[in-house]
Amino acid sequence: MVRVKSRYLLCEVNVSDKSQLLLLDDRAVAATVRAAVARTHGDYGAALCSIRFSVKYLNAHTGIVLLRFPKRCYRLLWSALPFITSIETRSHKIPCFLNCLHVGGTIRTCQKFLIKYNTQQLHRMLPKCKDEEEKQHIRKAILNCSLAGETKEAFEEESESEEDEVE
Amino acid sequence: MSAAKVKMREKKMRNQPASVQYSSSSRNVERNAHNEGDTSGGPSDVRASAERQKKPPQRSGWVRGHHKDGGGYAKEMPKYITAGAFARARSAEVKAMLKAVTKTTGSSHVFGALPKHMRRRAMSHNTKRLPRRLRDVANRMREKSLQAGSKKKKEQAKNKSRKARRRHGNLLLEFNRRQRKNIWLETHIWHAKRFHMVKKWGYCLGDRPTYKCYRPCYRAMSSHCLLQDLSYYCCIELQGEEDKLLAALSQMTSKQAGPTFAAALCLSGCRQGSVTVYKAGRYPSQPLGPVTFLWRPRTQGSTHRQLWIWAHPTLKQDLLPELQTVCQCCEAVLPPVVPVVTPAEANPILESESKPENKPEAKPITGTKRKRSSKDFTGPPAKKILGDGTRLPTTPITWKSSSTGIVINDLTMEIVRYRLIGPQSHSVLAETLEAATDCNEVDTSQASTLWWPQHCKDESKMSLHQQQTDVFHILKGIYSTGELPSGTVLGLTVDDPRLTLPTKKVKAMPCVKQAQEVDEEKRRELMLRGVPQHCCQSFLWEQSVRDNVTDNKISEQELNCMRSEVLVPGSRLSPTPLQGRVPILLLHQSGKQVGHEMNSWGAGWDLLLPKGWGMAFWVPLVYRGVRIGGLNMSLKHSQNKAAPHFPHDYPDCPAGIRFQEEQEAELLDKFKRHPPAKRTNYIKHGCLAPFCCPWQQLAEEWELLTRDGGEERKGDSKIQTTTQTDTVMEEEMTSQQDITLTKPLSRFTVLRDRKSLRLLSGWCRPTTSKGQRLCRVGEVPPLSRSAVMSFLAAHGMSLVWVRLSLFSKGKPEFHAMLCVPTTEDLKLLGKELGNSGPQEPPHRDHFKSRIKHQKDPKKATTSSLSSDKPECKGSELPSASDPDPTTSEDLNSSFQASSDLILGLWPDPLPSVTSHCSRVTLGWITQGDFSLSSGCGEALGFVSVAGLLNTLLNQPVEHRGKLLLRNPTSLHYRFAKINIEV
Repeated sequence: MVRVKSRYLLCEVNVSDKSQLLLLDDRAVAATVRAAVARTHGDYGAALCSIRFSVKYLNAHTGIVLLRFPKRCYRLLWSALPFITSIETRSHKIPCFLNCLHVGGTIRTCQKFLIKYNTQQLHRMLPKCKDEEEKQHIRKAILNCSLAGETKEAFEEESESEEDEVE
Repeated sequence: MSAAKVKMREKKMRNQPASVQYSSSSRNVERNAHNEGDTSGGPSDVRASAERQKKPPQRSGWVRGHHKDGGGYAKEMPKYITAGAFARARSAEVKAMLKAVTKTTGSSHVFGALPKHMRRRAMSHNTKRLPRRLRDVANRMREKSLQAGSKKKKEQAKNKSRKARRRHGNLLLEFNRRQRKNIWLETHIWHAKRFHMVKKWGYCLGDRPTYKCYRPCYRAMSSHCLLQDLSYYCCIELQGEEDKLLAALSQMTSKQAGPTFAAALCLSGCRQGSVTVYKAGRYPSQPLGPVTFLWRPRTQGSTHRQLWIWAHPTLKQDLLPELQTVCQCCEAVLPPVVPVVTPAEANPILESESKPENKPEAKPITGTKRKRSSKDFTGPPAKKILGDGTRLPTTPITWKSSSTGIVINDLTMEIVRYRLIGPQSHSVLAETLEAATDCNEVDTSQASTLWWPQHCKDESKMSLHQQQTDVFHILKGIYSTGELPSGTVLGLTVDDPRLTLPTKKVKAMPCVKQAQEVDEEKRRELMLRGVPQHCCQSFLWEQSVRDNVTDNKISEQELNCMRSEVLVPGSRLSPTPLQGRVPILLLHQSGKQVGHEMNSWGAGWDLLLPKGWGMAFWVPLVYRGVRIGGLNMSLKHSQNKAAPHFPHDYPDCPAGIRFQEEQEAELLDKFKRHPPAKRTNYIKHGCLAPFCCPWQQLAEEWELLTRDGGEERKGDSKIQTTTQTDTVMEEEMTSQQDITLTKPLSRFTVLRDRKSLRLLSGWCRPTTSKGQRLCRVGEVPPLSRSAVMSFLAAHGMSLVWVRLSLFSKGKPEFHAMLCVPTTEDLKLLGKELGNSGPQEPPHRDHFKSRIKHQKDPKKATTSSLSSDKPECKGSELPSASDPDPTTSEDLNSSFQASSDLILGLWPDPLPSVTSHCSRVTLGWITQGDFSLSSGCGEALGFVSVAGLLNTLLNQPVEHRGKLLLRNPTSLHYRFAKINIEV
């Protein structure tokens, strides 16, 4: 198919103080990336960054960011990401760095990767637990990581809603 | 984005995870975070986590973008994150991603999920061609689409076939349904096939024919006959003692404005009268509008009188309450058929006020719908609505007074009124109508429920009928309808005109042969004195006879059956069926009465019929070669007669004000429909109010001007007449500032005082239409300053109805401006005859740039300071195009006040209307056109009395009464001669 191609960078925001992660904001992230690109690559970089660059997804709890860059110049823009040392949001400066986990051609592949990555993380956490309570929590979380059982319900809901639309 | 697009997008993005973040807008969050950061405590963390357990992030929704509240998350930010929270966040994210990944996005269609190479033809109707995993979904979708299709089909099936819909009963039902909102005249179907119909005043009326007939209609009016259905005019019947009626009605009229209800000729019943009605005791400030009235001739030895007042439907809603208060008739007499008490009866006057369209209706015939719903009703399922279909049967139509004994009866739609205009209308009538034939002995002897056989028994009634028939025969002999005294009334009983319907359309011409037969002496008597008093009596006045005639009308079908049984096809039915006698009234309608030329142009007859007989008379009249006119033509008729047309030319009446508002809204709407580049820029043309004439402002401004002028003149009396136009201008300039300060004076009125009008007319030096010849007028006191001052003291705030005829080219349009020519203009006019008039320098549109700024607010905010300055400078410069120094001030204030500027129109607080252009404005045109009767452009409109007198004083005698006229869409002034015709 003919389409405009992009590269999606799935990044992780690493902060020292985890609570500050919750202050994150997609605009702030976008602004920071733009500033970093402009700093490292000058006007040319800034111009590249102004076209079709966006923060597609941000999870303030986990610190996962999905950035979209044009495919033509994503390497150049990517090279500016390590120079981000802090994100300024809501008059706070959060010292952090971005760690790129995955580069994908579609959002879908990134999502698939994220599923794999997160479950892996949880599995890794499980043996490192300090007490029983924590272990229980994580087990529960791991069990939650599936759509089994809910799929049918969800589908029915969906069909109902569609019918509503028809009415 | 369109709604459909939004919906599609929503559907597509339904499964996609949104960003999870705290809202950026709420500062509380921030502060809380600070506080907790400082006073780190365990409990807050516990609370937060507990809350989060209650509301897992996914359930509460993934918030996309910046939402106000944090999307249901706990507001407090925890200091540190426990492993449990960490794991939960991860698992929630995973879940969301899983959902996004497993559900297909893109098109919701099943086939969209299949890769292209797996798609097969005919998958849509044979689901077995699909892979098994998709079959369920596909089946469901298919069912749904089938259902939707069937629903649509069901709806369509509700509509009957065209054949069924056109079947008589169904058609009638449909017609009755459509009549519930707007009243249909009896000729509605006839008109609807041939005319552009408009819904006006609660009626469906024909505006103009679909065929081209402007000139033929004019020709018909001036040489043959034009027919109009005026049944929408409302008739109000007053019954009571003569002196009490007159006493009540005299409060509403004034002798100064012409003959009143008590005029002797009208009171006897031989003449129809017309009068302008005012609010009780409020002459001259609060007029209601013009009405025509007709007294029933006196019956011997009785002072009980009957009076019909005919009024326009827009006037009726003001007139009826006023009549009720004047006659102290507040007891509503309920229609006897409906004994049910409804809240409407509790306060009948209020009811009638609030529902102006409520009109009487035949008592036995109520709305068909209601009939069908009532169970005890046994009869044909649908019956044609006669009279008013919009009125509730419970609405009162009769009001009684216990103190004065006057009864007011609302006879709207009870009587059909046709108007025939033109010199040959009497011959059309003579050919169509035939005086009722007597009953033979057999019929008379039998007892009958019909009215005519009973009347035949009465000798005196028959002799009256004979006399009326004689008069009607003399009528055939006169040469032109205009020869008769205006307002003549003739009562008559005629045969059903359908019986004498010609097989082909013929043109009724005056019958020379018959004219010679008729006695010359009698004809002269008719022409001079009108119809003798006793012949004005008609049985149309009696309710019982009207109802009898209406109920016993032979239907078209029966008549055709009877015709088919006649031995010689096409011959006349004999004997005439007994039902076919109809009492009618013929009212002579005067033509042009004012002015000195085209006298009695447009005279004609009005034909009054009992309701139900409308079409029975309409078609025979049409078969006599008359032209049919609509509302458009009645406007042109009154324009050619130089008479004000109601409600267009009554700006001081409530109905006129309503009309003006409607017209303004309509014209503005039309104006806005054009793209801005294709609109006329009225600001550039210096036209302040192209859609609505601010009469009040005009009157106030001129009042002020004359007052100031008078004071100045007292101080300095040496001003030369030649320079006075300039000084007037200067005075205006000085008085501009005052206008904004002074409070509104009293309301303007239209001058209707006969004496004053005659005086004004004389001062204007009436001439023939193109101003070639002077006309003789009676003795008029010379135009002097003192006379003018005394006149203005009485009528300073008045407007006066004037007729203008253009000297040379030009077609005046409505809302054209009437201006005062300067001395230079008049000099130029004197020099060369072919001079077409001065030009208005184009004005500047100061609002254009403001509108631009409004359109893109970014620019406006950034450059408002810089752009405003030069503009203000530009407007402050004393340019020729902008003689008004106040405009710039007005401009600024209005710009701040009004936010919705329309390109090409002045925003609402208008600057001074009189001195906006280079020539001082006197008034506006309300009707204007090329007049086919005088062969030049003619206009009718109002000017301010104060302004007019000022102008006349300052003009030299040979140029007195010459004004300039400028259309709103042009810059060219044309010379015109003003005439006030009384």
